[in-house]
Parts: sequence; C-alpha cells; structure tokens
Amino acid sequence: MTGDGMDLWRRLRGTICILVALYLIAPLVIVVIISFSAASFLQFPPPGLSLRWYVNLFGDPAWTSSLIVSVQVLIPSATLATLLGTAAAYALVRGRIPGASMIGAALMLPIIVPGIITAAALFGVYRGLGLNGTLTGLIIGHVVITLPYVVATVSSGLRTMDPRLEDAASTLGARPGAAFRRVTLPLLLPAILSGLLFAAVASFDELIVSLFVSTARVRPVAVQMWSNVRGDVDPTIAAIASLCFAFAFVVLLAEGFLRRRTGIEGPR
Amino acid sequence: MVSISGAGPTRRTILRGSLGVAGTMMLGAGGQALAAEELKGKTVVFASWGGAYQDAEKTCYCDPFAQATGAKVLQDGPMNTAKFRTMIDGGAPDWDVTDITIDFLYSGIGDQLFEKIDKGIVDTSRLDPRFVNDYGVGCIVWSYNLGYSTKAFPGKDVPRTWADMFNLKRFPGKRTFGDIVVSTLEAALMADGVAPDKLYPLDVDRAFRKLDTIKSETVFWSSNSQSQQLFVDGEVSMGLILNGRAYDAAKKGAPIAVSWEQNIQSVDYLVVPRGSKNRAAAMKLIDVMTQPENQAKLANMIAYAPTNPAAFSGIDPQIAPWLSTAPDNVKRGFLINAEYWRDNLKRLQERWTAWKLA
Amino acid sequence: MPDAGVKAPLIGGRALLLVPAMLVLLLAFVGPVGWLLARAFTQPQRGLQNFEALWQRQGYLQVLWNTIEISALVTPICVLLGFPIAHAMATGSPRLRRWLVFIVLLPFWTSLLVRTFATVILLQRNGPVNAVLIALGLTAEPLSLIYNLTGVMAGALQVLLPFVIFPLHAAMARIDPAFMQAALTLGARPVRAFIRVYLPLTLPGLITGATLVFISTLGYFVTPAMLGGPHQTMIAQLIQDQIAQFGNWGMAGALSLLLLAVSGVLFLLLHLTIGLKAAAR
Repeated sequence: MTGDGMDLWRRLRGTICILVALYLIAPLVIVVIISFSAASFLQFPPPGLSLRWYVNLFGDPAWTSSLIVSVQVLIPSATLATLLGTAAAYALVRGRIPGASMIGAALMLPIIVPGIITAAALFGVYRGLGLNGTLTGLIIGHVVITLPYVVATVSSGLRTMDPRLEDAASTLGARPGAAFRRVTLPLLLPAILSGLLFAAVASFDELIVSLFVSTARVRPVAVQMWSNVRGDVDPTIAAIASLCFAFAFVVLLAEGFLRRRTGIEGPR
Repeated sequence: MVSISGAGPTRRTILRGSLGVAGTMMLGAGGQALAAEELKGKTVVFASWGGAYQDAEKTCYCDPFAQATGAKVLQDGPMNTAKFRTMIDGGAPDWDVTDITIDFLYSGIGDQLFEKIDKGIVDTSRLDPRFVNDYGVGCIVWSYNLGYSTKAFPGKDVPRTWADMFNLKRFPGKRTFGDIVVSTLEAALMADGVAPDKLYPLDVDRAFRKLDTIKSETVFWSSNSQSQQLFVDGEVSMGLILNGRAYDAAKKGAPIAVSWEQNIQSVDYLVVPRGSKNRAAAMKLIDVMTQPENQAKLANMIAYAPTNPAAFSGIDPQIAPWLSTAPDNVKRGFLINAEYWRDNLKRLQERWTAWKLA
Repeated sequence: MPDAGVKAPLIGGRALLLVPAMLVLLLAFVGPVGWLLARAFTQPQRGLQNFEALWQRQGYLQVLWNTIEISALVTPICVLLGFPIAHAMATGSPRLRRWLVFIVLLPFWTSLLVRTFATVILLQRNGPVNAVLIALGLTAEPLSLIYNLTGVMAGALQVLLPFVIFPLHAAMARIDPAFMQAALTLGARPVRAFIRVYLPLTLPGLITGATLVFISTLGYFVTPAMLGGPHQTMIAQLIQDQIAQFGNWGMAGALSLLLLAVSGVLFLLLHLTIGLKAAAR
C-alpha cells in the first residue's frame, strides 16, 4: 500500500520531469536547427541546410556594429557593477551596519521593480540630459540592472566564508587592508568572478532599458534582435540566438566550475 | 552596382545605373549645392518599414548613395507614426530620412513634422508631378490587397472581395488585419456593402460594428514582415496585406495569392524629420532614391511601382501584373483619400487602440 | 548580516564601501523612478486626472484585468509543474540533481527574447508541436497555440519555472528525510503524511516562488507582445504605448504607480508571512 503510493508519485514525478525538461530545452534545439536553414522564412523543419544566416550575421554591418556596441556596454558596466557590488556586499555582510538587511533589499530593487518602469524612468530623465542614444546612458542603465546580481552572488559567497580567517589574519598583525587583500580576496575571488559573469550575461541580454534609451546609431544586440523579430522574418535572428545559447552554455559551465571550487550559491 | 539574385538587372539598367552614378558625381563636381565629397564619412539614419521592402531600399537606394558619396547609411525601423511624433517632440530626431505613407504625410504637414524638400538637391522634375509635395517626395505606388492562402483555399472557390473576408462560414480560418486604422475601416465598410466611391467620409461606427463580427477570429499584424510570416506559418487563411509583401512572400515560396478586387491604392513618401542634423545628406539620399534605374531595380525586387515614369521601361515584364499601377489593377481599385486621413488619423488611431483592447 | 567578529573601529570605514553603490542606486534608479511616478500627478496638470481617465477608459481597465488574470493563471501552474522537479532535485541522486539544475538554468541564462522567439516557432500553426499532436491523432486540424492566452501562458511558464523551482528546492533540501520516514513508520498513509508533514515544511519556498512568479508576470512585456493577441495586452505594453505612441507621460506614470503598488503590496505580504530574509535567499 505504502509502496504503491510512493511508486505512483515517483512515476508521476518522472513523467513531469521529462516533459518539463523537454519543454525547457526544445525551443533552444529548434532555434539552433533553424539557424542552419536554407529557407528564407522561419520554417520548421527546414527544407534544406545552409550557413547563409551566419554569413549574413557577420556580413551585415547592422549586426556587427550592434555586437560591438553590446561589448562596449557590457565590459564597463559589468566591471563597474562588480566593483560597486562587491564593495557593497562586503560592507553589508561584514560591516555591522544598522539596517543592513533593509539596504540589502534596496539594492535588489532594480531586479524586483518591473523593467518597463526602470526603462521608462531612465528614458524620461535622459531626455533632459541628452543621454539617450549614448554609450554612457546605456552603461549607467546596465550598471543599475546588473548590480543586484553581483551583490547577491558576492554576499552569498561571503556568508559561506568563515570570518575567523580574516580575524586570524588581523590578530596576527596584518592591517585590515592587507588582511582583505591577502586572505578575503583570494577566497572570495570565485564568487566575484561568478558575479561578474552573471552581470555580463545580464547586460548582454538586457532588452527593455536598452530598447528605450538606444537609437539607430548606438544599438546593442538585444535591441537589434527585437527589431528583427518585430520587423524582419529571416532566420538571421536564429543564428544570433544560437550564438547566445553557446555563450550561456559556456558561462554556465564556467560558473559551475567556480561554484564547485567554493560551494557558493548563485543569485537565485 | 551589384547584381541582385532574383532581380536580374538588364544590361540597359546597369548601363543607366552607371550613367546615373556618373551623373550625380558630375553634379557634385559642378559646384551644385552639394559636392559628393562633403558627405564623405557622414552617417545618415534611414527609417522604413523593415523586412523585404527595407532590404530592397537598402540595396537599390542606400548602397548606391553610399557608394557615390562615401557616406554611411544606418537602417532603422519599423516606421511608426507615433514614434515619429514622439521623436520630433523630443527635439532631436534619430532619423534623417523616413519612408512614410501618404496619410501620415498629409497629417504630419499640418503638425510641422517635416523639413521642406530642398529642390536644389532633390531633382523633383523627373518625377510624376502627382507624387511631388513640398514636404515629401513619392517613392513607391502600392496597394492594400486581400491576400489568401492557396493551401487553405486550393480550389476554384477563393475569396475575392472584402465581403468574403468577413464571411467566416464560406471561408473559414483566422484573418489578419494590420494593427492600423487606415485601410482597415475602408475594407470593413466595403464588406458591409458601401461602394468605394461612397466611402468618404467614413461611417466609423458602422465600420467598427462590422469589424466586431470577426474580431475574435482576427490576428493583428504589427509589422509588414509579420503579415508575411502569418501566411508562411499558416497562422491565417486570409487577410489584408500589401501587394509587394505578398509578391515577396510568394516569390520566396509561401502559399499566398492576392485578389485585386477593391484594392486600396496608396503612395509612400520620403521625408526628412524636422530638426534632422543631417539635412543636406538626407536630401541627397532622397535624390538618389528618385533615379529611374534605382526605382526600377526596387520594383523588380518587391513589385512596388515607381514614381519616376522613366523607370517603367526597366521593369521585368513578369513583375508588371503585380504592380498596383497595372491598368487592370487600377481599374479594380481606388486611391485612398489622404485628405480624409489628414483630418482624422490621430482621432481614429486612438479609437482604434481603444477598440482593439476592449 | 552583521558579524560579531568585526572590531568596532572598522565600522565607519566599511560603511563607506556602500556609498558608491547607493549613490548609483539613488541617482540612476530611485530618482528617475520617482520622477516618472510624479508625472502621474503633475501631467498634464496637477491633480488626479490621470487616475480618473484610467478609471473611465474601458480598454485600460480591461488591460489591468488581463494582467491580473494572466498572473493568477500562470502562478498555480508554475507551482504544480515546478514542485515535482524541485522534489526530484532535492531527493534524487546527485547526478540527477546536476542534470536538472543544468536543464533549468540553461534557458534561465539565455535571453528572454530568444526563448520567446523560439516558443513562437515551436507553437506556430505549422510548428513541431502541432505536427506531433496531429501525428498522435490528438487533433485533426492544427491548433491555434499562439497569439492567444495559450501562447502567453506557454511563453510565461518557459521563463518563470526557475523562479518557483529554486526556492522550492531550497526549502525541500532543508527537510530532514527522517521526518517523512517517521510519519510513515508511525502508520500514516503516504498522501496523508505528505499533506500533514511534508507540504507545510515546503510552504516558505512555495510562497516565495509563487510570489516571485506572480510579481514577475505582472510586469511582463516581451511575452504578451510576441505570443499574445489584443486580448492578452498587459500593463507593461500599455505603459510602453503611452510613452512611445502617445507621449502621455502622465498616464505612463499613473500606470507605473499602479503596477508598482500591486507588486509592492504583494512583496510586503510575502515579507510579513515568511520574512524577507527567506525571500531573498
């Protein structure tokens, strides 16, 4: 009786797991297949195979320049977010600051508040400052959006780290700066790198803020993809999407590697 | 000049094309208002309707312009009337040349949305005078048609009129209309029995009542490319689609055909948004767009008719029946009333949005 | 969290580390959002006219209703589908766990836009899902799976499942398997043991996950825009329309305020029921 009930649950659970896994992975697989399609439209299954959409992707200045813009935004914004976020996380976890949990929650706001509100707000304020359509404007927006990922990842890393290690260092006469540099930083590095990776991916994928504050002259990949989805129907978008999967895949592997070395948890 | 697959430029068009380029060069060298050299390194943002049409514009207009002047053209879009207005309100438009429909040209002139066309740079004399305006230069002549899936209706009994579009019993399947008020109200009224010459001023309430009858069966396309994709995917069995887009989809293998009954004819204009920072380069780009060989090449790619009469001789005879200017097609259609839309576009667009959401 | 091992003189110095991040947050987030929300009461004139207009427009109220309806539909389905996965992660072998984490995380880290676009292809009339359904004889005619509620639900689930799986998994991982064992040994039937013992212990994770899903759905933009029809227009699209189409900042502010208020109240409720600390984890 008991065994039967558990058995039934196991079977149900197994079926749902397989179906959901299929449901999560199938779109990715299909997009990769379509990216090699020979047809001019998004058709499945494709009538033939070709590399023309990849050729198109790298031959079309609209795509190549948007890739460059994405990188120009991603590098400074992820770096800045990592610096600011790591400092903030350190202060929150180790600083004995009154109201630290409220401040921590406030730093999470940009990923809790719906993106459309942040986007509309920045667009409105930027108009008066002439920041719409500039790299600076995009970078500021992306720092705001990616900061929470870094704060969460690094905080979580700090919490799993034994504070007595730093204490021991200071007891042994190391100055606070030196204790941080010699002891905390090396131990925390995987968490910081993890945060950097998350910030980089989040910046690359960010659409709504970029959609509002970018223009044709300065346009990141996500926005180019959006206008492609809304406007053009050829499978070039499947090609760039497949590259995004490959990127996410590599990042996840790297992140998993970092995590295994430290046992930290990601932002979610 | 690069040859385009499917377009097959004749030797004559190539010859004319090179003459055209040489001509513009000489124009610049001759100390006209603008020397080609001055545009070198400049960037012009061109906004249009995306997809196959904008690809064709890029190949036939923008690339020759870039080659002749050394300027760069960035493509943006899809064009959206509201976005256009917001941009002008903001003071510094991102777009330098924009492809708009005639109804928006008329409505925008009243709101001072455009720069005046500089006839010292744009040679408007080579165009059919019907398509020359102080604030815009006609570039293509086209039509809204009833398109249907040849897969859904493979037999003899195919939808022909707008009334057929509203007849869900005889012609089952989902419909598509543009997420635009212009043309949709006209189609609904014709379906309800109003003759084309009695349409204006539109009986708006009656049109919306008619649209209510198929609203739950209708998908609204938000871009012209989506209108093509809906037919490719088999998502709809018939709908309102632009003649060039239908041609392009059919050329690429989609199961689509169009009816020319009660086609609604319209014109696209090129305009320069007020406050554009690259006015001179923008005007030069518009001038390149009016050259006959460029217009012919575009017609060969996407079946939109030229505004420069000299361009017709360069058009592939096989394309001719697809052009809205073909005598048979003109006879069965009518020209959209741009004056009506000038006065009513803004009001009806808002009512359209409200109707769609309710 | 404050730590006992830190010496007093360092506090001031360490608090300074917060300044840059807080400054960015205030100047580039709190300030602009405050500016936007203030538009609701100042444009076109001072007063509550935007909220009155909102109340009077049938279409807008319909959009608000759509938003709440879709969120309320997506949330329980997410929980029902996420629960078995989280359970398998928590109680299965480490190998199974690693696989499941990977499968859930890979789409989670791929752009939302790309996945939504993929869902369009998957579900379109001539798409693979319809092909399979027809091949299995489940339907003769291809089904309309996109540009309607089904499409929005399918796209939203794709994106939101991880939000419910991870908090649930965290809660389940903390449950000592001995509890269930004890209940079963004491003669409780499995279903009863599950409802009386296991389920209450997963509740914090479940509530957190459900709230996250509900709040995220409220602000959805890409999914309804690409997979829904006019009847699935959601509030975020309406905000975008107000700005990009009508330049109506007052109405955009009013709608944003409404969206933020609903999300904020739900978040507060979450905080009151299980504590923000657990929610942030």
